[in-house]
Amino acid sequence: MDPRQRNLLSMAVVLVLAALAWWQFWPLGEKITQGLDIQGGLSVILTAVETPETPVTDDVMDRAELIVRNRVDRLGASEVTIQRQGSDSILVQLPGIANAQEALDALGSTGQLEIRDVVSSDPTTGEVVLGEVLLTGDVITAASIGTNPQTNEIEVNVTFDSEGAAAWSEITGARIGQQIAIVLDGNIESAPVVRDRITGGQTTISGNFTPEEARRLKTVLETGALPVSLEFSESRLVGPTLGQDSLRKGVFAALAGLGLVALYLAAYYRGFGVASWFALSIFGSLFLGVLSLLSNFGWFALSLPGIAGIVLTIGLAADSEILMIERFKEEVRGGKTYRSAARHGTRHAIGTSLDADLVTFVSALMLYTFAIGPVRGFALTLMIGLAIDILNMVFWSRSVIITLAETVIPKVPWLFGVKGGEADV
Amino acid sequence: MFRREIDFLGNHRLFLILSITLVVVAIGSLVARGLTFGIEFQGGTVINISQAEGVSIDEVRGAFADAGAPGLVVQSTEGGGYIVRSTESDADVANDIFREVFGSLGLSTDVGDVATIGPGWGRNITRAALLALAAAVIAILLYISVRYEYKMSVVAVFTLVHDVLIVLGIYALVGREVTPNTIAALLTIMGYSLYDTIVVFHRIRENSMGLTRSTFTVMANHSLNQVIARSINTSITSIMPPLMLLFFGGETLGDFAFALVVGIVLGAYSSIGVATPLYTAWKEREPKFRALAKKFGAA
Repeated sequence: MDPRQRNLLSMAVVLVLAALAWWQFWPLGEKITQGLDIQGGLSVILTAVETPETPVTDDVMDRAELIVRNRVDRLGASEVTIQRQGSDSILVQLPGIANAQEALDALGSTGQLEIRDVVSSDPTTGEVVLGEVLLTGDVITAASIGTNPQTNEIEVNVTFDSEGAAAWSEITGARIGQQIAIVLDGNIESAPVVRDRITGGQTTISGNFTPEEARRLKTVLETGALPVSLEFSESRLVGPTLGQDSLRKGVFAALAGLGLVALYLAAYYRGFGVASWFALSIFGSLFLGVLSLLSNFGWFALSLPGIAGIVLTIGLAADSEILMIERFKEEVRGGKTYRSAARHGTRHAIGTSLDADLVTFVSALMLYTFAIGPVRGFALTLMIGLAIDILNMVFWSRSVIITLAETVIPKVPWLFGVKGGEADV
Repeated sequence: MFRREIDFLGNHRLFLILSITLVVVAIGSLVARGLTFGIEFQGGTVINISQAEGVSIDEVRGAFADAGAPGLVVQSTEGGGYIVRSTESDADVANDIFREVFGSLGLSTDVGDVATIGPGWGRNITRAALLALAAAVIAILLYISVRYEYKMSVVAVFTLVHDVLIVLGIYALVGREVTPNTIAALLTIMGYSLYDTIVVFHRIRENSMGLTRSTFTVMANHSLNQVIARSINTSITSIMPPLMLLFFGGETLGDFAFALVVGIVLGAYSSIGVATPLYTAWKEREPKFRALAKKFGAA
């Protein structure tokens, strides 16, 4: 393939990608997920507080996460995300603020594991009426999963401390054949039937558990012994009107910035300026396309810091254009033909831009890796933008400048602010 | 063969005086006024009221005082709203206050937001921010050392320190709050400003290959002149979007924008006024270039 064909092919591929991007991200409002600071909602970070006796281990965090999940489930909120943050924190995000107060109250309460009487249970609806609290979770010292050697069923083994063992013996002795309930934060986790009086502080719960259910019940039982408490580290509640207002301002600022840059480029670089409009449009299309693709997989939500990152990359993308144009003009001034100036100049300019983009990329990457909180959204959009800028430079802008140098520029050099680079001069 | 050129390096004394003045003023204002840190670093609550037509600042202050919010600072914003800061660091209490105040002012909570940071969390955020800063500086140093030479990276980091000091001084001077957003923006814009420096260095290196016909300083000045048009233009185009963000972006985005704008301006200046003169002075001490200086006379 000769170079001319390769340039045309490269431009065609980029155009197709940009068109695909439009198809992917339009309409924007639906295709790009909005973060809580834009759509409104409650975002809370809970941190486990360590005491000298009990370090915050992974196991402790598993239990803590389950407690949190349990509390949030009880609110009946939809689209809740619960994520571990670092080694000792949990991030909970609830869209909408209708039940924010309730959510905060629930999240702020201390986990309560109880063993309670069952007054009645409806076998068809499964509805259970709870009675008196018989025992609280703090008497449980350990829980484990085992297999019954005779029936091969999965069981959950519970160990009580001495106080719990005595109480448990009394409770089970008085309720043989009756149901009791294991309740966490008011949710019934399991309602086994007592088979026998159990002494010695060891008891087994069986009931056709799947491994998953058994693990969950084990964790529930262990929460009774959760040695750490969860505290609010951060809580952000954003009203939906305010969020949308911020979004409007951000989009307006981004468009105004883009418009100014476009005008400046056209005024200063004339023909090349107009050519860079296309480059910037393609850059923008690909950028939004990637963001909506990531949204699709649930890997991206646009936050306000994310918008700041996008706005910054608009300027950086314009920089790359300027570098190429300036270098081209300089090579022509230095006596090269348009054609060889375009080839040579764009290659050098890409080398320079690459260095610059990579240095900024490294800063953003460090920020993304080490920082906590919303600023990571800024780092993420910045990194994506820089990557697209590099691709755009190599596959679009370079091809365009070379093609222009071979076709239009020799005919109307004044339009591109150059002279004297005709091949026969 | 050279077009009319500006003698940047001949004016290095001017730059030196300017930079020293800026750094002294910056340190002075840092000492005298100190930095105001956002609640993210020390714990506390910020409540934003975006639309509050017909509600006066005294009414807002009164409502918060009635709700029992400690350590109040109330500020009005451009769009007719308010930002209220309080030292309350318990999320539950802060949200109760938020609801109570919006109720008593007759506003919908839809137009507000409340953010509360616990006291311990601030330490976490500060540590993470410092870690990110250190990691970024080290990574940039390594990159430039590997890609170019260690002298460039030492000069680049020195320039970075110069820029950061002045930016912090500006924050102290205008009393703007330093938030995690500020640090994120500064960190990246410092990386980006290095870019200006790198572009110049890139060109100096290119021109210094097989240099026999002029001194290093003359060549470096010529290099600066070669890239000045693009330096000015890229600075203008990169500052335009953040400037729009500063004017129209609202509170959170303005936070980023201010740091970005200040950083870009300083970065553009320091690559010409600080990094290049320093680097040139250092290179002139190399035997190869000292010989050239002898031959053509001191620059």
